[in-house]
Amino acid sequence: MSQNFITEATVFEEVKKAIAETLNIDKDSITAESSLIKDLGAESLDFLDINYRLEQAFGIKMARHFILEHIEEMFGEGSAIDANSRITDKAVSLLQFRMGENFPELRAGMDMDEVPALVTVQSLTRGVLDILDSLPEKCSACGNSEWQSENSLRIKCGSCQEYAAFTNGDDLIKAWLTKVQEEKKIF
Amino acid sequence: MHCNFFKDKIALITGSSRGIGSAIARKFATQGADIIVNFRKSGGKSQEQGELLCKDIRDMGRRAFLIQADIAVKESVKEMFHEIDEKLGRLDFLILNAAKAPFKPLEKLPERELRQLVETNYLGNIFCVQAALPLLEKSAGKIVFISSLGSRFYNPAYPLGTMKAAMESAVRDLAESLSIKKISVNGICGGIVKTDSFKVLRQYWEELDQIPDELFVEPDEIADAVVFLCDPASRGIQGQMIVVDRGLSNRLYRPFLKADKKQELSY
Repeated sequence: MSQNFITEATVFEEVKKAIAETLNIDKDSITAESSLIKDLGAESLDFLDINYRLEQAFGIKMARHFILEHIEEMFGEGSAIDANSRITDKAVSLLQFRMGENFPELRAGMDMDEVPALVTVQSLTRGVLDILDSLPEKCSACGNSEWQSENSLRIKCGSCQEYAAFTNGDDLIKAWLTKVQEEKKIF
Repeated sequence: MHCNFFKDKIALITGSSRGIGSAIARKFATQGADIIVNFRKSGGKSQEQGELLCKDIRDMGRRAFLIQADIAVKESVKEMFHEIDEKLGRLDFLILNAAKAPFKPLEKLPERELRQLVETNYLGNIFCVQAALPLLEKSAGKIVFISSLGSRFYNPAYPLGTMKAAMESAVRDLAESLSIKKISVNGICGGIVKTDSFKVLRQYWEELDQIPDELFVEPDEIADAVVFLCDPASRGIQGQMIVVDRGLSNRLYRPFLKADKKQELSY
């Protein structure tokens, strides 16, 4: 269910903080449109560090793998990335569907190593919000639905004080892919 | 340690812009050696960190050279050694430290990632040894391979361990075949070190947080052992792996190493 305990503005601030601390840069230099790699100088290992900080802050599990890897796992080797490490047409239409039309750089035949540069502060914020929106109706520990926020970052059960358990990022991507495949039959 | 043994000798540490490689480079420099810092990818943070490291080494009064080369690409390795030969004409210590691998269970690696795993972490190291031989023969040099406990024990989502195991075997093989050329080959098998790679491992291995602080190895401790393996004090050691893990692998009761629930054995 979508949750109203943690606002998009809070998540955005927290994402900026995680990036600033990881990359040792000024938080104010980060905008929603900044590409982590192209504009802020992040490398692949930095993503994991940033994710780790966000996981600690919100009590969530970020996706460990890019959507392209999930496509390959679900629909077979070669479905998203061809033998020359290039992105397939089908993967591009799926990515466009997921990320909207805001990524003119995204095109079939681009090298897979260029894809991580498409991750922006905005898309990372969206990823965190998607996970937070997986808040279950009821607390898995006591069955009550008395969620409340703690420091506007964590969601806690007002009845038994357990922290909310969210769906992890990888499972959310897999569920989304399954749903889209059923509707659109891309692969 | 022998006085002045390292002075003006030359060490190449692959993948040394950060982490363990960077600590090894600094350690050799403090011993008086000149350093070749190698990194894989131009224009990124590694290059920046490599440049800073070289500056630090020069501030220590030693020479430092930064060379970009992807060890997985044979041509790139050849160019690196050509440059070393041209600029310095000498190499005493080859430290095989560079590594790069996805963090996924082996059975989930697509062919592309499997090939990359072997290319960087096995072939790349052998390419370096082959290309370094002419220089190492002249100096009766030393080769030290940096391995990890993942070569012997299961780590979740750590296919790199299989390549570390292959390389430990290569160390034994090369030690024997290169002894006639007076080149020594050994390795260090490191425990858990808090480098950038640790940040990744931490995401797949939650129990890692339960390992007591005193069992984490400092990069500097690995570096000391590497320098020892290059020092005449270790002349009797050939084709061996020295475990530097603060005793982690020696703890049989390991209360923090619970088996994955899914994979729990039933007796």
